[in-house]
Amino acid sequence: MAEAPGRLIRLHAALLGLALAALAPGTAGAAPERPPVDRPALAAALCGPPAVQGQAAEALIRAAADAETADLAWAGNILRVLTERRLACTDTGAVILDRPGAAEGADAATGASRPAAGGRVPVLGLRQRAQVETALGVVALLSARDPEARGAGLAAIERRAAGVPEAVLARAETAEADPGLKRAIMQVMQAAALSSPDPARRIGAIRAVAEAPSGAALSRLRALEADPAYGADPAFRAALDSGISRVGRAIAVGDGLAVLYNALSFASILFMAAAGLAIIFGLMGVINLAQGEFIMIGAYATYGVQELFRRLAPGAIDLYLIAAIPVAFLAAALVGIAVEALILRHLYRRPLMSLLATWAVSLFLVNGVRVALGTQNLQFRMPPYVSGGLPLYADFIVTWNRLFAIGFAAGTLALTLLILRATPLGLDIRAVTQNRDMAGCLGIRTRRVDRLAFGFGSGLAGLAGVALCPIYSVNPGMGATFIVDSFMVVVLGGVGTVLGTLVAAIGIGGANVAIEPLYGAVAAKVIVLVGIILFIQRRPEGLFPARRRR
Amino acid sequence: MSGNAETFPVPRRRDGAARLGARIARDPLVAILSAAILGIALCLVLVRPSPYLVNAAGQLAAFAILAVSLDLVWGYLGILSLGHGLFFAVGGYVCAMHLVAHAYAVTGIPPDFVQFMGWKTLPWYWAGLTNAPYALVLALGLAVLVAFVFGLASFRSRVNGVYFSIISQALVYVAMLLMFRNDTGLGGNNGMTGFSLLFGWPMGSPGVTLGLAVASLAALAAVLVGASLLVGSRTGRLMLACRDDETRLRTLGYGTTRLKLGIWCLSAAIAALAGILYVPQVGIINPRVLAPDLSIEIAVWVAIGGIGRLGGAVLGAVLVNALKFWLTAAMPEAWPFILSGLVLLVVLALPNGLLDLAALRLKPTWLRGGTR
Repeated sequence: MAEAPGRLIRLHAALLGLALAALAPGTAGAAPERPPVDRPALAAALCGPPAVQGQAAEALIRAAADAETADLAWAGNILRVLTERRLACTDTGAVILDRPGAAEGADAATGASRPAAGGRVPVLGLRQRAQVETALGVVALLSARDPEARGAGLAAIERRAAGVPEAVLARAETAEADPGLKRAIMQVMQAAALSSPDPARRIGAIRAVAEAPSGAALSRLRALEADPAYGADPAFRAALDSGISRVGRAIAVGDGLAVLYNALSFASILFMAAAGLAIIFGLMGVINLAQGEFIMIGAYATYGVQELFRRLAPGAIDLYLIAAIPVAFLAAALVGIAVEALILRHLYRRPLMSLLATWAVSLFLVNGVRVALGTQNLQFRMPPYVSGGLPLYADFIVTWNRLFAIGFAAGTLALTLLILRATPLGLDIRAVTQNRDMAGCLGIRTRRVDRLAFGFGSGLAGLAGVALCPIYSVNPGMGATFIVDSFMVVVLGGVGTVLGTLVAAIGIGGANVAIEPLYGAVAAKVIVLVGIILFIQRRPEGLFPARRRR
Repeated sequence: MSGNAETFPVPRRRDGAARLGARIARDPLVAILSAAILGIALCLVLVRPSPYLVNAAGQLAAFAILAVSLDLVWGYLGILSLGHGLFFAVGGYVCAMHLVAHAYAVTGIPPDFVQFMGWKTLPWYWAGLTNAPYALVLALGLAVLVAFVFGLASFRSRVNGVYFSIISQALVYVAMLLMFRNDTGLGGNNGMTGFSLLFGWPMGSPGVTLGLAVASLAALAAVLVGASLLVGSRTGRLMLACRDDETRLRTLGYGTTRLKLGIWCLSAAIAALAGILYVPQVGIINPRVLAPDLSIEIAVWVAIGGIGRLGGAVLGAVLVNALKFWLTAAMPEAWPFILSGLVLLVVLALPNGLLDLAALRLKPTWLRGGTR
């Protein structure tokens, strides 16, 4: 072979020409019939010298958009065989070996078994390897069944997007079923179009990128400002400028939405932590420093329910978060009622002492859980309805776990209002909150109301514990994180009003989240707390002073 | 401080050195305790027990001063501050700054956090802190200033009772968050430690330890006697009146805001003094002294010892902290349970703290109104 390299190359060139003719896109518009790939020609080209190998890979990439899926799969196989050094080139054609160095294999074109003795195993050069890998990526993207393989193919293409015709990506994009991958393909197409030599196509691509704004789109457009065309071509410049400003605006809107969303979710947590406090404080004047620990009990009850599901009903484990709702409520409520019955009922009219007593209870609960169950963070399984999210606009993603918390808070609010406004217990609670002595005179058993209301308020904290599980880490000390914030909510909202608590929670949550990106998390907390302290100086009764006994 | 006393004078008693002794003797507990404290200080000097014991006695004395400062506002004015750790920390931080600045000036080695932050020198507000009298004035003045601003705003708008407690807790929490930042120039979350020199003497030597302990005990005795003189005075009676019925006192024409503000600032200064004495003995200060839990613990000492009795505050602080020293070493798991059990016992069964056990005193009227 070595003695006639010129002839050989000519031979291969002829073969290649054949292959290309076969692979060339069908220009006849009437019948989108897919021309068959000339398998022997391709196999022969891959056995050729490096330049021919590379040309064959490139030709395959160009023709892939119109090739049959079966042909693509075959081409993909032989290319992979080539990269794995299992392709033996004999005088009579290429043979695919099962393993490198095998004596026998299948004929590349026909699949018939035949000996590979004396065959040369071609080695890919760096340049050719890249071309072949791109071709493999194209084939995988167009023909692989597994979305992951298609994703990997797309990643391979992305590295050399300029060499891949738009038609290939367009075909993949229309055929793609996976929404995430479809979006990714779209982005690669846009990126390729942005660096296209055709100015009209570039401007179109800029418009298309601006249609789907995101941080990535912005940086992609920004990168084009360094392009020579930006200075030379006024139309390009105008399109790019308008595209950048459009994406920038959209990102600002999306970020604003994200801040609002985060604020709402933080406010939901605050509201749930504080609602029970507000009821208890308004009714009994008791500052319950153990409220954070009732949240912790709710979270641990949720963990218990999860473990129970794991033992008894592993199939339905994703439902544990729902099943935990009543359990956490009852667990926290029972502990609360016990605390009220054993300790607090002796301390009414001595609010500062009840404050110390609830601190002792919280110390006891934290350390009890610490000793019994350890200090480590609990591991929660995230059911699908609280993991992931939905990209809504620009970079704004609606994460399900926060949506869960928001929905949970809304449910808690509805439940609280329902109980306070529409049940006999709620009527009693409101009566005792407004005038304890008069309510007692009218025959309301105020002590029983106190106990039930304390249980209800503790139960609300337990519910907050459920909602926290998908968002925060759960450990014995978790309650301390919320106690100061939730007291601020109660104080700001006004004692004993659920709606005041809601407004205050939204205000504090919003202010915290709004200041955070500007000055950092600690400064945000400090500014908000100082603001509340100042506000309380002006309105000691809070935003919505409740009518209560004097 | 005493409101419109000139407009509405209360009957004055004759004053003089003879009355002083009689006044102290009116609260025998204070007299006994002050004598005992001075006796202990003398013992420390004469017997020279192990430095660990000396140091523990000094720290306990600092805590007792802190407890007296809180009892002054809680027991006698009815204002429960859950943020007294803030004033303690102000004193402690300024003292630590003085020690660090002093060591820097003598040895020329910049403190750890300065190197850590990559700074060349100490920030501007450290200027002059090598001067001990200036540091003392700064510590007390800063504590009083913070207390004044916070107290003025709160008392003027009549933030009372539980509200005040919650807001003071938020204040100390805010301060903790601030001090956890590393760019405050005060050591950040690591705080300041490794003090090497006190007035040019090496820290940790037996003599310095003894000196600090004796100074703390002497300060405790002075604070105790001074506070007992205060509460025995006309101002003290106004304080009790304000605690029991502020509205009535105001209606009678006394400026309760000024009274409360004055005592509040005094209490803050005493708490800062406790911090000043505490930090060189324990050898470290970090933002954890500003944790809301620690401030609640101060109230717990007072409640356990007995609210509204200065001696009770001292006994409570010494007892709880001695137990804590011992138990956190002997059985750390059990300590929180014992503490919470003590609190519940006192709160439920002994409204005046452990002093009830000694039956030294009947329940004061303002507690007798309880529902038990």
